[in-house]
Amino acid sequence: MSYFIQVVVDGLSNGAIYAAIALAIVLVYRATGLINFAQGGMAVTATFVAYALTRVGVPVLLALVVAVVFGFLLGALLERGVMRHFEGGDPDTAVVATIALLVVLSGLSAYFFGYEPHPFPSLFPNRTIEVLGVFVSLRSIGTITVLLVVMIALQLLFRSTKLGLAMRAVADNPRSSALSGLPVSRLLMIGWGLAAALGAIAGVLVAPQLFISPGMLDFVLVYALASAILGGLDSPIGAVVAAAFIGVVENLAGAYLDFIGDDLKIAVPFIAVIVILVVRPQGLFGRKVTVRV
Amino acid sequence: MTKTRNAARASGVVATVSIAALLVAGCTRDSSAGGPGADDSASPGITDDSISIGISSPLSGATAGPGSCTIAGLDSYIEAKNAAGGFEFGDGKTRQVDFTYLDDVYDPAKAVSNFRQLLNDNMFAYVGALGTPTNAAVMPIAEEEEVPQVLLTTGARTFSSDQDAHPWTTGFVPTYATEGRAFGELLANANQPLTVATLAQNDDFGQSYLDGLNEAIEGSQVKIVASATYEPTDTTLDAQVTELAASKADVLMSAVSVTPLQVGVLTKAQSLGWLPRIFLPSNTSTPGTILQPGGAAAYPAVYTPSFSKNPNSPAFANDEDVKAYNDAFQKYGSKIATTYTPHCAWSYAEGAVLDQAFQGMKEPTREAFMTSLKSISGFQAPLLLDGITVDTTTKDDAAISTVQLVQYDGQAAFKPVSAY
Amino acid sequence: MATTTAPRSTTGTASSATARWKGIAAVGVLAVALVVAPLVSSPYINYQLSSIAVFAVAILGLNIVMGYTGQVSLGQSAFLGLGAYIAAYGILHGWPGPLTLLLCAVVPAVVGMLVALAAARLRGLALAMITLALPIVGVPLARRFDEFTGGSQGQVVSWLRAPESIGLANDQWRYYVVVLIAVVAFVLARNLVRGRIGRSFAIVKENEAVALSMGVSPYRTKVLAFTIASLLGGVSGFMYLAIVQYTSPETLVFATSINLVAAMVIGGSASIVGTVLGAVYYVLVPVLAGQVNSSRTALISGAVLLAVLFLLPAGLVSLPRRLARLRSSRGRPPQPPAHPTTSDEAAQPASAPPAATTDQHS
Repeated sequence: MSYFIQVVVDGLSNGAIYAAIALAIVLVYRATGLINFAQGGMAVTATFVAYALTRVGVPVLLALVVAVVFGFLLGALLERGVMRHFEGGDPDTAVVATIALLVVLSGLSAYFFGYEPHPFPSLFPNRTIEVLGVFVSLRSIGTITVLLVVMIALQLLFRSTKLGLAMRAVADNPRSSALSGLPVSRLLMIGWGLAAALGAIAGVLVAPQLFISPGMLDFVLVYALASAILGGLDSPIGAVVAAAFIGVVENLAGAYLDFIGDDLKIAVPFIAVIVILVVRPQGLFGRKVTVRV
Repeated sequence: MTKTRNAARASGVVATVSIAALLVAGCTRDSSAGGPGADDSASPGITDDSISIGISSPLSGATAGPGSCTIAGLDSYIEAKNAAGGFEFGDGKTRQVDFTYLDDVYDPAKAVSNFRQLLNDNMFAYVGALGTPTNAAVMPIAEEEEVPQVLLTTGARTFSSDQDAHPWTTGFVPTYATEGRAFGELLANANQPLTVATLAQNDDFGQSYLDGLNEAIEGSQVKIVASATYEPTDTTLDAQVTELAASKADVLMSAVSVTPLQVGVLTKAQSLGWLPRIFLPSNTSTPGTILQPGGAAAYPAVYTPSFSKNPNSPAFANDEDVKAYNDAFQKYGSKIATTYTPHCAWSYAEGAVLDQAFQGMKEPTREAFMTSLKSISGFQAPLLLDGITVDTTTKDDAAISTVQLVQYDGQAAFKPVSAY
Repeated sequence: MATTTAPRSTTGTASSATARWKGIAAVGVLAVALVVAPLVSSPYINYQLSSIAVFAVAILGLNIVMGYTGQVSLGQSAFLGLGAYIAAYGILHGWPGPLTLLLCAVVPAVVGMLVALAAARLRGLALAMITLALPIVGVPLARRFDEFTGGSQGQVVSWLRAPESIGLANDQWRYYVVVLIAVVAFVLARNLVRGRIGRSFAIVKENEAVALSMGVSPYRTKVLAFTIASLLGGVSGFMYLAIVQYTSPETLVFATSINLVAAMVIGGSASIVGTVLGAVYYVLVPVLAGQVNSSRTALISGAVLLAVLFLLPAGLVSLPRRLARLRSSRGRPPQPPAHPTTSDEAAQPASAPPAATTDQHS
C-alpha cells in the first residue's frame, strides 16, 4: 500500500512540474488566444538570468524576484517588438513566429551558457520527510504550495479583476474589445509580460530538478500543453488538476501495467487526454464555445 | 486571373532558385569525391602540405554538450599541432590538418547531408563523430564511397564488432558493453550472493550495459532482482527509482546518460532510505556536475569505469598531458565547447591516435590511412589512464577495449578499486 | 517581368494570355532544369535536391490539412516515420518496390483517417494536442517493436541502386525516382485543390457553419484532408528511405513536425508553389547556417525564420507580389505599411486572414 501511495506522490511531484508551465500557457492563452511555443524559451531565458545571479552569490529568492521582473519586461518587449506585427494576421503565421522566438531564445541562452545542463540551487531545503512510510521531498511540497498560490492568484485575476476581465475580452474578440474602448495593445503586452513572469517562477521552481539548460523545458512543454488543453485552456484550476492527473496516471501505468512498462507509459495519459477530448471537446474545466455564423 | 500570373511568377522563382543553387554549388560531376585523382594516385583531400578531416556531431539541441566536446578536444589537438609546425606523415612530408566541423542536431538525415557536403568539399577522412543513429546512417555511404569513418565517439557495438564487413568504419571509445562487463566481473568475483537492480536507457546505450553485465555475471551468485527503463526525454526517474528501491537490492546499476536524470537517481534513492552500491557509466560520473550535486558521498560505494584522466581533477594537476591539454583547450577548444564533458578528453586522445596513424601512412591514400590506422597497438595516447592503451588491430572491438573501475572518494576525485 | 508590376485590377484577355504563355514557358524551363540538374551536379547537390523533393511532399500533405483546410497538425513527422518504416520493412523482406510504395501510401492514410475520425470533431488546440501525441507516442512505440523497426539503432537499408543498363550513378537514379514521385504527387494535389474538393477545403477553412449551409460536411471534409495529408506523409517516408537509406526513431521526432510546420508557413500557406519554396527553405537554411557558423546554427536559423516572417508574413511565395507592391509605391507618397490594423485589411470580413495567398482566393 505504501508503495502505491509513493507512486502517486511521485506522480504528483511530476505533475507539479507540468502544472508550473501549464499555468503559464493558460495565462498567455487567456491573454492572447494564441498557442505560444515561445513560452518555454522565455521561461528558460528568465531562469538563466536567475542562474547567472546565483552564480555570483545572490540569494535564490532575490534572484527569483529579478528573474520575474526581467521575464515581465522580456515578454512585454517581445509582444511589442515582434508579436504585434503578426496580430490580426493568419494565426498560423503567429504560431510560427512563436516557434522562431523559441529557437532564437534558446540559441541565445546557448550562446551565453552552452547546452550542457547546470545544477541550479533550490528555493527549498533539499530534504525528504517520511509520512506513514511514504517519502516526500520538501522541494515537491514547496513547489506544489507555490503553484497553488499562483493558481488561486490567476483565478482571482481572471474572475474578479478589471484587468483580468479586460484581458479575457481581448483574447476572445480583439475587434469588438477595441470598439468598446479597451486598450487592446497595452492589454496584450501586459498579458505576454505576465506570462513570461510566470514562466520565470515556473523555471526557477523546476530548474533544481531538471537542471538549467536551453532545452530544459522542451519536453515538459509537451506535457504542459497536454495539461493546459485537457484542463480546458481557460481555467488555471483545470490546468493544475489535469497536470496532476497526467503525472499520476503516467506513473501508475508504468508501475502496474506490465505490458505498458516504463517506455510506453507516456502513451497512457496522452491516450486518456484524447479520449476525454473526444467526449468533452472543451476539456475538463473549459467553457463550451458556440460557433457563430 | 491573378492566379495564373502569380503561379507563373512563382514558378519563375522556383526555376531561378534551383538554377542558382546549381550555380552556387559550381561543381560538376567530374570533381566529385571518390573519383580517381587528377594527376597522381593521391586520394581526394590530401596534398603535399595539407590534409582535410571532417566531422559532424550535434552542436545544438539536447546532445550538444557532448557533441561540442567531440569536436573541441580534437580541434585542440589538431590546432596545437598545426601551430607547432604540422603533422609528420609516413611518406616523409609534413602536412597541416584542415579541420571542418558541422552540426547535425542528432538528426540522421542531416548527418548524411553533412557527410555528403564534407565529401563534396574534398574531405579525406571523417573522424570522431558522436551519435549512434547519425553514424549508422552515414556508415553505408562511407562504405559505398570508400571513405574512412573512423574513431567514432559512440560505444555502440555496430561500429566495431565486424570490421571485415564494415572495413571503413571503426569506433574509438570502449563499447558500452565493455563498461557493463567490467562491473559484472567485479560483482561476480566477490563470490557472494548479491542482488542487483538495473536502470537502463531504453535504447542501445542502456541495452549494451545490460548485455555486458549479464555476460559477466552468468553462472555466478549475482542475481538481477529488479529492472526498469526510461526514455531520454523523461523529466524525472522518481517512479523508476521508487520501483527499484522496493527490491532493496544490494547494488544499483544506473545506466543513465542524461545528467539531470542521473543526479535525480542519486538523490531519490537516498531520500527513500535505499543505499545500494552504485555503478555509473563513464559519461555520467563527473564529480562536479553529477556526484556532488547528487550527494553521492552518502552511498557505501560509487563505481565507474574510466579510461581517461579528468583534466579538471586536482589529482592530475601536475600531469604533463593534462597541462598540454589544458593549454591547447584554453586556446582553441574553449571556443567550441563551454562546459567540460569527458568527451573533450576522449576526442583529444583521439587526435593523438590520428597523429599516430598519419605517421605510419606510407602513401597519400585513404587505403594507406586505413592500413596504418588499423595497425596501432600498445599506444599510450595522452590523457589515457596508465595501463590503458590503444589497440586497433582487433577486428571486433573499438580502439580502446579496456576500462579500469574506479571508486568515488567522496570529494572531487576517484580512487582505484581493490575488490567489492 | 514587366507585367508583374501591373496593378492587380488589370485583367484584360491579352495580358492573361501572355501570362499563360509565360506560365507554360516557366514550367518548361523548370522541367528541363529538373531533368538536367542531376546529370551535371555532384552527388552532394543531388542529395540536397532529392531532400527538397522528399520534404516538399511531406510539407504538401501538411499544407493540405493546415494551409488549405485550416486544421492544425503537429503530427506530420509521425506519418513520415511510419512510411519510412514500412518502406524499410518491405524492402528488407524483398517486396517489390511499387507494392511497397503503395503500402507506404495506404497504411499511413488509413492510420491518419482513423485518427481523424476521432479527432476531426475537435478544433484548434484540442486538435493540435491529438496530432502532437502521434510523434510523442510513436517514438517509444518504434523502439518497443524492434523486430519490425530495428529499435533505437534503426535500420540501414541499402537499396535503389541504379540499374547497370541505364548508365546512371546511384545518386542520379535515386534523384529521378524521388523527383518523379514528387512531381506526380504535386500534379495530383494541384488538381485536387483546384477542384470541387479544394473548394470544400476552402469553405471549411473559412467558416464551418457556412459550409454546412452549402451542403458541405465539415467533418467529412476534415477527415478527407487529414487522410490525404497522412498519405502524402507516408509517401514522403518512402522517399526519405530512398535517399537517406536509413530510418530510426529519430526520423519521427516531434521537432521534425514543428520544423515542417514552420517551413510550410515560410513557403506559403495554401499555395502549391509555396510548398516547394518551404521545402527549399527546410533543406537549405540549416546548410547555410552551418556554413556561416556551425556552432550557432540554432541562433542563425531562428533569426532567419523571424526575419522572413517579418518581411513576408504570407510566405516566400508572396515575394514577387511584395516586390511589385514596393516598386509601384515608389515615387508616390509613401503609403502606410501593411499593418494588420490598417484600413485596407479592416474592410475584409473578420474571419478572413489578411495573409490570403495566391492560389486560394482566385
